[in-house]
Amino acid sequence: MTFDAPNGLERPVRLSEATRAFAWDSLRHKYGQDTRKVMDVSLDDAEGFDEMTPLERYDAAVARIAETAPIRLCEGEKLSGAATLGRAIGHQVPAVRNGAAICSSVSHLTLDFGVVLKKGLRGLRAEAQEALARYTGTEREPFARSCVSCLESFSVWHRRYLEALEGRPEFADNLAVLRRVPEEPARNFREALQSVWFTFAFVRLCGNWPGIGRLDVLLGPYLEADLAAGVLTMDEARELLAHFFIKGCEWICGGNYGSGDAQHYQNILLGGIDEDGRDVVNAVTWLTLDVLEELGISDFPTTVRLSRKTDPALLRRVAEVMRFGGGILAVYNEDLVIEALTKYGYELREARAFGNDGCWEVQVPGATCFQYIPFDALGILQHQTLRDYAEDVDFPDFESLYARFKADLTARVTEICRSYEAAFWYADVPGGDWGWKPQMPCTVVSLFERDCIARGLSYFEGGAVYNVRSPHLGGLADTADSLYAIKKAVFDDRKLTLREFFTVLRNNWEGEEPLRQYMLHHYEYYGCDNEEADAVAARILDDFADACDGMNGRCGFRFPAGVSTFGRQLEWSKGRLAAPHGRHAGEVLAANASPTPGTDLRGATGIIRSYCRADLRRMVTGAALDIRLLPSDVRGEDGLAALVALLRGFVALGGYFMQPDVADAAVLLAAQKDPASYQTLSVRVSGWNARFVTLNKEWQDMVIAQYAKEGR
Amino acid sequence: MRVTEIQRFCMHDGPGVRTTVFFKGCPLRCRWCHNPETQSASQQILYDAARCIGCGACAAACPVGAHRVGADGHVYDRTECTACALCAAACPTGALFQAMREMTEEEVLAVVERDRAFYGEEGGVTLSGGEPMAQPEAALRLLRMCKDRGIGTAVETCGCFDPAYVPALAEAADLLLWDFKDGDDARHRENTGVSGLPLMRALIEADARGAQSVLRCILLRGVNTEEAHYLAIAELWSKLRHCRYAELLPYHPYGGAKRRLLGEADDGREDWIPTPEELERARDHLAARGVRVRDLGR
Ligand code: SF4
Ligand code: SF4
Repeated sequence: MTFDAPNGLERPVRLSEATRAFAWDSLRHKYGQDTRKVMDVSLDDAEGFDEMTPLERYDAAVARIAETAPIRLCEGEKLSGAATLGRAIGHQVPAVRNGAAICSSVSHLTLDFGVVLKKGLRGLRAEAQEALARYTGTEREPFARSCVSCLESFSVWHRRYLEALEGRPEFADNLAVLRRVPEEPARNFREALQSVWFTFAFVRLCGNWPGIGRLDVLLGPYLEADLAAGVLTMDEARELLAHFFIKGCEWICGGNYGSGDAQHYQNILLGGIDEDGRDVVNAVTWLTLDVLEELGISDFPTTVRLSRKTDPALLRRVAEVMRFGGGILAVYNEDLVIEALTKYGYELREARAFGNDGCWEVQVPGATCFQYIPFDALGILQHQTLRDYAEDVDFPDFESLYARFKADLTARVTEICRSYEAAFWYADVPGGDWGWKPQMPCTVVSLFERDCIARGLSYFEGGAVYNVRSPHLGGLADTADSLYAIKKAVFDDRKLTLREFFTVLRNNWEGEEPLRQYMLHHYEYYGCDNEEADAVAARILDDFADACDGMNGRCGFRFPAGVSTFGRQLEWSKGRLAAPHGRHAGEVLAANASPTPGTDLRGATGIIRSYCRADLRRMVTGAALDIRLLPSDVRGEDGLAALVALLRGFVALGGYFMQPDVADAAVLLAAQKDPASYQTLSVRVSGWNARFVTLNKEWQDMVIAQYAKEGR
Repeated sequence: MRVTEIQRFCMHDGPGVRTTVFFKGCPLRCRWCHNPETQSASQQILYDAARCIGCGACAAACPVGAHRVGADGHVYDRTECTACALCAAACPTGALFQAMREMTEEEVLAVVERDRAFYGEEGGVTLSGGEPMAQPEAALRLLRMCKDRGIGTAVETCGCFDPAYVPALAEAADLLLWDFKDGDDARHRENTGVSGLPLMRALIEADARGAQSVLRCILLRGVNTEEAHYLAIAELWSKLRHCRYAELLPYHPYGGAKRRLLGEADDGREDWIPTPEELERARDHLAARGVRVRDLGR
C-alpha cells in the first residue's frame, strides 16, 4: 500500500493500518463504483406530480431521495453518512420521472456549515417554522414551506442511518455521535466533524457540489478544547480527520469522465485570519496537512491563506506537503484578497472571512449566491476586433487598434452582465423597479446560506446576503501576447505591415515558418518578466475591471472581475485562429492567468513577477496562476527553502492565487514530445545545467531515465 | 564582463533561492567539464540542429560563407567562422545562438535585483562559470554592488586566479563554493592542465581571513574514487576553520551534449559515473575522518 506521489517522494506514515486500508480502497474506486450502482430514485409513482409546481416537485424529489437512497456503512468508518446516488456525481438532483431528470442542482458555493454546528438542525427547523409563520399567505410562503419540507427530509435520512447503525456494535461510537448531531449543536471535535460530514453528505446526495470552506475555523475550536481537556489526542484526531477526507473520495469511480472525476468542488481552506484579524491556525490546520501529505487525497482541493505575517513554520510545512506534487495544495495571498474585497465594498469583517466557491473563486462563504461567466478574450480580439484578419481591416497605429479591442471587450462585458440581469430580474432600468424572477428550485443549499430562510427567498432568488455574477476573462496571456506581437513587429520595429501580417495569419503561417519562428523567439512575452509585454496584460485587466465596474450597482448584483480558463483553453482552441505571437490555429494556449506554454523563458520567479505586474486587486474574485516545478527543483533542504521563497515572493509581490505543481519524468517525456511548450524546462544535475529541449533525443532519454531513477 | 547566461531561481548554488551568473572563460581545462561553453573566454556559436528549419537566413547573413543550405539541409562549417554572431542574430528559431554576452556589472545587477522578493534572508547572487575570478575586477565589483544592496553573495571558484585577489574575495563573498578536484597533483595537472596546490593554498588563505566556504568535490569513477583522494579532502578540511561542509558531486556526462552544440565531439564518459556504492564509500570515508558531508540537493 503506497500512496503515490507524482514525483515519487516517499510519503510519511502516521495513520493506522486500518485507516490507510480504508483510504486505499476508497481511492481505488471501491465506493465510487458502489455509488454508481443506483443512479437515482424514481418519482414515476408520485401522485399528483403533474399538478405540482416545480418547487413542490423538487421537495417531492428530496423527500424520495431521503426515504429511499441506499444506506452505506463502510467497514471501520469513523464517520457515517454517504451520498450514494450515481446521478449526483454528474451534478444532477438524482431523481427522475419517466426516465427524465426532474431538476438541476447547484455548485460553486460554499455552505455555512457553522450554522449546523452552532444551532443544529433543530435550530434551523425552528427558524424555518418561524419563517413559514411569518410568510404564510405571502408569495414567500412556498419557499418557506419548502425549507420545512427539506429539513424534514434531512431528518428522515438521518433517522434511517440511526436505524441502520442500531444493533451494530462495531459502529457503537458512530451511533452515539449521530444520535446527537446534526440534530443538536456539536459539543466536541468528533461531533463537529460528523455533523459537518453528515450535512455535506446530504447536500451532495441531493446532487449539489458545495465547498466545505474554512475547515480549521469550523472545527479547530472543538479540537483545541478536546485536547486541552485531555479527552482526545492529536493521533486520535488525525485518524478521525483522515476519515473525513477518505469519505470525501466516495465519488471516485475510475475511468475517464470528461474533465475527470477527481473533484466535485469540495474545496477546503486553511489558515489566515478571522473576522477580528486573529490568526486562525490551530491543530486542525496542522492535522489536515498531515493527512494530505500521507494520503495524497486531491479530492478536497485545499488552499492555504498566506500573508506577510504567516508563521514561518506553517510556510515550511505547506512547502513540505506541496512538494509531493499533484498540485494538491494551493495558496491565496490573503493580504491582497482582503484588500481586493474591501476596495470592492465588502465590510472588513466579511472580507476577512473570505472563502472560495468550491473552486478557487473568492466569495464570502455561506452568504453568497455566486456564478461566474467565462469568456475568451482572444476570441474577441480575433473575431471581432480583427474580424478574422479580414483584408479590409487596418489600423493606423497601435493605440487605435487597442481602442477598438477595448470597446469590443467592454461591449462583451456589458452584454454578459445585461443577460444575467435579464435572466434574474424583472427590470433593467437603473433606479427602476427591480424584482427577482423565479428561478429553479434550490432549497437544500438555501438552508445553509445566510439569510435565505429568514428572508423567505431561495439562494437563486435574492435570499443570500451577496449576489455575485463574475465575468471571467480567459485567454489573458495570448490576448496580451497577440497585441504585444503586433505592436512590436508592425508598429515599433516595422518588420512588416499590418495587412501583410494579417495575410500571413489568415493563411495560418503557411509558407512563413521563418517569420513564425521569428515571432516566437524574437520577443519576450507575458511570463518572461518583461515590463513592456506585461504592461499589455495589465492594461487589458484594468480595462476589463473598468467595464465590470461600469455595470455594478444597477441592480442587486455585484459584477466583480476575475480571470480563469480552467480547462477551457482546450475547447476554445478549436475556434481560435493563428495568433501573431507565432501560434498556429487550433493550438492549445495559456491556462488561467499563466503564460502561454513555451513563453516562460525566465523560470518560476519570472512568471510570478509578470503575473504580479497587473493590479490583481481589481480581479476581485480571483486570478489563478499555475506554476510547474521539477522534483529536482524542490529536493532536499535547498528545495524546501526554494519553495518557501517562491511562496514568500508571491505574497510580497502581490499575487492572488497560485498553484505550484511538482512533476516527474512524465513531464520530461511530455517535453520531449512537445518541445515547443517546454522551452524553459531546465534540467539540473550536479552543477550542470541545460535547457532540456536543447538536448538531442539520446541525451533527453538519459536525463529522463535519470529523473525516473531519482524519483524512486 | 563576459557571461554565458544568468539563471534565475537556482536552488543548489548556495543557500536559499539564487540568481546564478555564469562567467565565460576559465583557466582550467577539466576533461569532465560540465559547462564546456564557459571554458573559452571568447565568443562561440552554439548550433542545435534539432531546431533548424533550413531557412537559410544564416547563410545570407554570414560574411565568410560558413553556412550552406541546400538540398541536403543546413551545413555549418566552422573552419572560416570568426564567431561574429551575425548568423545567430539572423536565425529565427534560436538554432544558432551565441555562447557569450558582454554585459556591464550594472546590467547584471539589474537582473539580479529582479528576484529580490524571493531571496529572503538567505538567498542572493552566485557567481559561477567558468571561473568568475578570471574576470576579477568585474566579479568583485558586482559582488560589492550586491552586498551594498543587501543581496547575499556567493562565488563558485576553482581557486585558479591571482592570489593577490584572495583578501578582496574573502571580503566580498558571503560564501565560497570551492571546487576541489583531485588530491593527486600529477593527475590534477593531467586532467585539468594546472597544478592543484596553489588553488588549495588560495582557499586556505581565504579561510584564514574568515571566508565561509563549502568544498565541492567532483567524484569520477576510476579517476579519483580512491582512498588517497578522500584523505586529501579530509586533510584540507582539517585545515579549514570556516568550511560548512563538503559536497559530493558525482560526475555525469551531460557536458557532452553542450560539446555537441559547440561542434565538438561528445566526450561524455559513462564509465566515469560513480556507482551509488562508491558514493556511499566516499561519504563513509570522509565522515570517519570528521568531514561534514552533504549531498548536492539533498
Ligand atoms: S558567427 Fe559570423 S562568421 Fe561564424 S558562421 Fe556566424 S556569421 Fe559566419
Ligand atoms: S538561420 Fe537558423 S533555422 Fe535558418 S537555416 Fe540557419 S540555423 Fe537553420
